[in-house]
Amino acid sequence: MSTDTVAGAQMKVTCRSEELAERLAVAGRGVSTRTSVHVLTGILLRAESGSLTLAATDMELSLRLSLDATVDGDGATVVPGRLLVDIARLLPPGEVTLEHRAEEGTLKLTCGPASYALNTFAVEDFPRLPELEGDESFSVERPAFLDTVAKVSRSASRDESRPVLTGILVRFEAGRLVMAATDSYRLSVKETELEGGPGRELEAIVPARALGELSRVAQAAASDTIEIGIRDNQVVFEVDGVVLTARRIDGQFPNYKQLVPEAFEAEVELPRDEFLDVVRRTALMAQRKSPLRLRFEEGQVTVSAQTQDVGEAQESLPVAYGGDTLEIGFNADFLRDGLESVSEDKARLKLISPLRPGLIQGEGDDFLYLIMPIRLAG
Amino acid sequence: MSPAVGSPIIAHLDLDAFFAAVEELERPELRTKPLVVGGDPHGRGVVATANYVARRYGIHSAMSCAEALRRCPEVVFVRPRHAEYSAVSRRVWDAVREVVPTVERTGLDEGYLDVGEVARDLREARGIAGAVQAAVRGATGLTCSLGVSTTKVVAKVASDRRKPGGIVLVPPGREAAFLAPFPVRTLPGVGPRAEERLRAYGVTTIGELAALPDDRLAAILTGSVGVLLRDRARGIDARRLERVVANVSVSQEETFPRDVADRVRLHDELRRMAERVSERLRRAGESARTVTTKLRYPDFATRSRSITLPVGTDDAEAIGDLACHLLDRALTERPGALRLVGVTVSNLESGVQLRLESG
Repeated sequence: MSTDTVAGAQMKVTCRSEELAERLAVAGRGVSTRTSVHVLTGILLRAESGSLTLAATDMELSLRLSLDATVDGDGATVVPGRLLVDIARLLPPGEVTLEHRAEEGTLKLTCGPASYALNTFAVEDFPRLPELEGDESFSVERPAFLDTVAKVSRSASRDESRPVLTGILVRFEAGRLVMAATDSYRLSVKETELEGGPGRELEAIVPARALGELSRVAQAAASDTIEIGIRDNQVVFEVDGVVLTARRIDGQFPNYKQLVPEAFEAEVELPRDEFLDVVRRTALMAQRKSPLRLRFEEGQVTVSAQTQDVGEAQESLPVAYGGDTLEIGFNADFLRDGLESVSEDKARLKLISPLRPGLIQGEGDDFLYLIMPIRLAG
Repeated sequence: MSPAVGSPIIAHLDLDAFFAAVEELERPELRTKPLVVGGDPHGRGVVATANYVARRYGIHSAMSCAEALRRCPEVVFVRPRHAEYSAVSRRVWDAVREVVPTVERTGLDEGYLDVGEVARDLREARGIAGAVQAAVRGATGLTCSLGVSTTKVVAKVASDRRKPGGIVLVPPGREAAFLAPFPVRTLPGVGPRAEERLRAYGVTTIGELAALPDDRLAAILTGSVGVLLRDRARGIDARRLERVVANVSVSQEETFPRDVADRVRLHDELRRMAERVSERLRRAGESARTVTTKLRYPDFATRSRSITLPVGTDDAEAIGDLACHLLDRALTERPGALRLVGVTVSNLESGVQLRLESG
């Protein structure tokens, strides 16, 4: 629990500059880049009981973490985030002392011969950040959780006009975790066997950006687990002492099961790496979002692209295709994203027609990537 | 048709009083009357084009229609018919391409021609320019003016010198001298702000801009734009024809007869414009990745807010949703009634990315 700061208290704390820089770099990712609410461009520093806590939030996500420090005075203040991160990064190795001078409205920072006085923001203006309460949280395996995020996150939308699509649907079921994301052009769904979990069905739409930040923070973590708490409005994650809070997105996630056609006309097995190389090479000529054309005919697929005033490319690859000749256009990035999300050596591509969705899967059925084509002109 | 050796030969073509001329083609009796194509003279309409009779009364583009009416009470007002103008414009450019195959359209009524491709020297270029005028007149009955020189900037300024129906040639080596006497504002790239700054430092003609030493130039116009404009003032312009013939954007906007604060009404307007924009994209088989909403406040402060999608859309509803969302965002930052709203789509691409649908 955070204690309210006693008025007049003066924060004074000493720690290692290397550690401060490293921890500030993490906290700094929560700093708001919009300047309309000034205090949110700051990082909260709170010194108490032998540690210095750093926190930042842009109201959509917040990050909080602590480091060991010698505390000579309890207290808290808020300083310009970007600036403090940059200063800490460039400090020489050694001890750094941070002292809040409330009467001057500054934070004095000294490290060897270097000293700074930074103007501070009023700590009362900084939002209260939620805590992770033990009774309502549960833990999940870190690698399984992060792998599931990585499999679906690319399909999340960046279009803020439909907020629900900027999130990833995270659902805990008995013994497994399901995540889904769609930007309405493609859909990724990954099911992962999971030990632990909440012990009951639970779901939330979590901003993809927040899960991206979590992945970044947790990638190199020492802990094998991530603690998760799901609240009415927020989801709280904790790994290695870093607490990340994300605002839950309101609304109804699309019923994605209805998006997946029940039957397909053609199915072809593709050597993932080889096909991906062909797609990557050819995609160089699919500039300005020109479509990548896939032409399937007896025994081979030909991938081609052309961009006006730039040029064109094509390359064929033998594949076991026996159906009618079919030509279909895809956004090159979307196709690549789907293939890259397959972790097995073989990728299966299922098609219906040039205007119906295609399905990419690995060898198993635990992952699917549904992709809508581009209607080719002429 | 051997390629020109040495300097390029570029022509700028400008149709004379285009919208008005199209109207006159259909109603020849208007030819002798002052004619304005534009908005409502009793509301906030502005003059899109005035014919040459109306210009004698001092009426010109961008003037308010109310002012045009004051200057000439007999003036005939006609509402613009953009679909018609597009169709005529297509015929014009098809005719131009018959004479000069490589053209860069920069608007419905103007563009650049790579005359060097079909003429060896300026003497031949004059013949080509005459042939272009004849082809345009033959195909549409419209007249146009051409400027011919070695660079885009000089050709553009030259095409405006002898309207209507003129041809102005500026030979190699004469570019700077030709430009020198004109007011700086005539130079493409010099907007009202740059003009104001230049004027404040006593620079009123293109020649004076061309003669500015580096340090003074840097004091007046910061960054690379100063050097760019001074180069242009000296007739130096490395731009060649851009052959991407496709549209770069599609837009719709509307100035209201009275300022509008009602959000529902504003959304309705934007959605209606989105329909029209979508219609034009569909006809061209294109989709757009960037949607921009433009707002103009009663004090003429003009703002625009854009969003770029990972894939293009031609869907009226999607464009309308985005446009309204952008409007709401802009109005949060600066609330108030609006004088104008508009929707532009850009970042156009061919083919249409389809959406997932249930079933």
